Amino acid sequence: MKRYQLLVSKVGWSLFTVLFVIVLNFFLFRVLPGDPSRAGVRDPRLTKEAQEAIRVRFGLDKPIINCFTTLNPLKLAPETCAVNPLDTQFFIYIGNLIRGELGISFHTNRPVAGILRERLGNTILLIGAGQILSIVLGIAIGVVAAWKSRTVVDYTALVSSLVAWSMPTFWLGIILLFWGSRDLGLPIGGQVTVGTTYATVWDRWLDIGRHMLLPTLTQTIIYVAEYVLIMRSTMLTVLSEDYILTAKAKGLSTFQILKDHALRNAALPIVTIVALNLGFTVAGAIQIESVFSWPGLGQATYEAVVRRDYPLLQGAFLLLAVSVIIANLIADLLYSYLDPRVQTS
Amino acid sequence: MSKVNRLLSAALVVAAIVSACGGGGGAATQAPAATEGPAIVRLGWAGSPDTLNPGAAVLSEAYTIFALVYDSLYEFQLDGTYKLGVAESADVSDDGLTWTFKIRSGVKFHDGQPMTAKDVAFSLNLYKSHEDFPYLNTYTYSFESIEAPDDSTVVITLTGPVPNIDYLLSYLYILPEHVWRDHAEGSAAAEFENAEMIGTGPFAVKEYKQNEFVHLVANKDHFLQPPKIDEVVFQTFENQDALVQAIKTGQVDMITEMPKTAAPTLRNEPNVKLVTGAPFSPDVSDIIFNQVAPENCPKDAGGVCTGHPALRDRNVRLALAHATDKKKIIDVVLLGLGDPGLTLIPNGLGRWYNNSLADYGYDVAKAKQILDDAGYKDIDGDGVREMPDGANPLIFRMNWPSDSTNAPRMAELLSQMWLEVGVKTELQAQDPDALTAVCCPAFDFDVILWGWGSDPDPNLLLGVMTTEQIPTGSSETGYSNPAYDDLFAQQSVELDSAKRKDIVWQMQKIAHDDVVYIIPFYAQEVQAFRTDRFGGWITDAGKLALEDVSSLVVIEPVK
Repeated sequence: MKRYQLLVSKVGWSLFTVLFVIVLNFFLFRVLPGDPSRAGVRDPRLTKEAQEAIRVRFGLDKPIINCFTTLNPLKLAPETCAVNPLDTQFFIYIGNLIRGELGISFHTNRPVAGILRERLGNTILLIGAGQILSIVLGIAIGVVAAWKSRTVVDYTALVSSLVAWSMPTFWLGIILLFWGSRDLGLPIGGQVTVGTTYATVWDRWLDIGRHMLLPTLTQTIIYVAEYVLIMRSTMLTVLSEDYILTAKAKGLSTFQILKDHALRNAALPIVTIVALNLGFTVAGAIQIESVFSWPGLGQATYEAVVRRDYPLLQGAFLLLAVSVIIANLIADLLYSYLDPRVQTS
Repeated sequence: MSKVNRLLSAALVVAAIVSACGGGGGAATQAPAATEGPAIVRLGWAGSPDTLNPGAAVLSEAYTIFALVYDSLYEFQLDGTYKLGVAESADVSDDGLTWTFKIRSGVKFHDGQPMTAKDVAFSLNLYKSHEDFPYLNTYTYSFESIEAPDDSTVVITLTGPVPNIDYLLSYLYILPEHVWRDHAEGSAAAEFENAEMIGTGPFAVKEYKQNEFVHLVANKDHFLQPPKIDEVVFQTFENQDALVQAIKTGQVDMITEMPKTAAPTLRNEPNVKLVTGAPFSPDVSDIIFNQVAPENCPKDAGGVCTGHPALRDRNVRLALAHATDKKKIIDVVLLGLGDPGLTLIPNGLGRWYNNSLADYGYDVAKAKQILDDAGYKDIDGDGVREMPDGANPLIFRMNWPSDSTNAPRMAELLSQMWLEVGVKTELQAQDPDALTAVCCPAFDFDVILWGWGSDPDPNLLLGVMTTEQIPTGSSETGYSNPAYDDLFAQQSVELDSAKRKDIVWQMQKIAHDDVVYIIPFYAQEVQAFRTDRFGGWITDAGKLALEDVSSLVVIEPVK
């Protein structure tokens, strides 16, 4: 009964957060100064008429919400209110969302849903591979380091993790890019070698894999450190507990102690970090994507901010918010499963 | 073996596989060009077209692709002249108002359908009827009507004589009526994705992914210039260091841009040739002085006109010009890869550029003398001069768009140089949109460091300095000179090319004498190509644009 109630309340709160984000997203971008119909382009050829025509096409000629044509705090002023309060940018946006339409990107003339789908796939492929690799390696190294506490193994793991964790992603990416392209002949841009005719599907995936190597390596080096550090410190606390001593006294093998007695108790902080990181995976890693020109979501979002591409921005942020919220929900529910005390408190 | 160990060894196996693919792939990347299979030229650039729809496109990368995939009635050439494209002849009536074009027969679209005069008339009418096309619509302003009386004739009637119809028509790409017919009305035209991009040009689109690549295949049946290579790939590198690394390692055969600092290293790179020259569409950097006169302040268009009164005095602008060391700016900001500028018409515009003008020399003593003589003296001894009436010290706000890479360093240099003659500046970068809002037609600034992109024809940038443009926001200085305005009107209807050139030169002399702007430099185009892959790149035809159709239809794999 209790678990059921918990589920309902968590899911309810998540839905509420999504609704809040939908509304916030709309206003957030419009408070920024800037005009998508100019898209950062200043050109004497762009006449007043052309600009107005573009505004009409984007639906920017309508008030944002009733009585307001701008949300720029510097220009905010009371205005005469329209006859039909529903014929405003805000309610058109909400109406479209209800119908499942994310609109057409201002900058690229393509449906936002299509862009997001394409970019999401690329991002999940790259960032997902890096995250899974980091999680597996990070937990393994962290556990070993804690078990071999105060030995050369531990110190090596600790120091190298600290060094890796403090390295700027951009810088490490560039270093690996120079090294990988010069000494290993690895490709350093994009996802495939365009123009190649692949004999089999397998060849195509091999090509994608080669393009993924350097960005995945960069990501793994940065993230693995985080998991190692957290896993090691939680493990150390757990390993000093009396029940571990008891388990040792019972003559259990190292592996049994670690797996059945230590790991599950040490798992809580890691679950949190993993869930949060996986949620943000969808945002892509802007720095890695831009160093290696990987066509992911992070890169698309950055471009949309620069171009004031409202439909794409709204779509991307909605996607990001939903995935972070879902990841958090999963973490919450996993928590109550891993640690029964969470349910009652 | 415990499970933990098994896990670790599994990870090691993965790492081993991964590095094995890496090593194996390395050999493939460095494979020579002269292997069997299609000859694919790979171009690396930092941008990407925004859309393949010529009506809606804004970015210059899109126009680079349009020029390869579409044909026009006239084609622009690197030496600054035009030649006929899909038209085989052009005749103009004596009054200059009616142009009759004979269209070549046998021209085919990429989908195999024949191209006729009907397609030409359809395309031109499409551009003319769509005000929501930001650029191409503006090239049709002087067209009264466009008709195709038969399949091989197009008649364009003008509202008045036009001296540069070749320039206007070179941007009006011929679209297939059978494709665009269903997307011609209302907002459908600008919203059309045009992913297939059917044209008649020397290259056809095979695949396009925004911000990733544009993959083109050669149209070997092109009537004028069938390419010798088979395919072209434009690949986007977000990171310019990666772009340089890509040409060093042979992943691309040519790059269209690079950080200025990379030029020296590429110069010494084996199998890579670095080339510099006049840009295809030159960017002109300008130092803008707000000199709008109170009576010209466009109050109806939102003008507030808060500029410093000293900047309305030619003496002050002249003194600042003498106090500006252009050579130092070029050396520091462009690492020497630029030429000192004169007016908004850059040297890259060939014969339109008035090369007879003598620049104001860098001469601090002279600058001080001019200010002293005009009555601007440092009365309170704080190192900053005051207005002749003793009030209002010469402290100018100096702004630049925050997305500019050159401007911050230039602002610092200018600030030091001008302080030497007793003029102080307050430096601040601004978001480009915010800058537009204070710039024009608000005139709520003193000095802005900005720039223009230029067309091959001088009309566009000469128009920026006319009185007429003050309320529209195109005039950023507020400069107003009736004599200049008269000449502008004259050149825009002068059909005799030599006479028009004389007027255009005269206008540049006026703008230069009045110190409407200080033009610090005209940046050079810097590109590089690999010498071991393809030969025949055009590097000495006036303008430098290896990505232009002129190079891509003549290059061949190196044997």
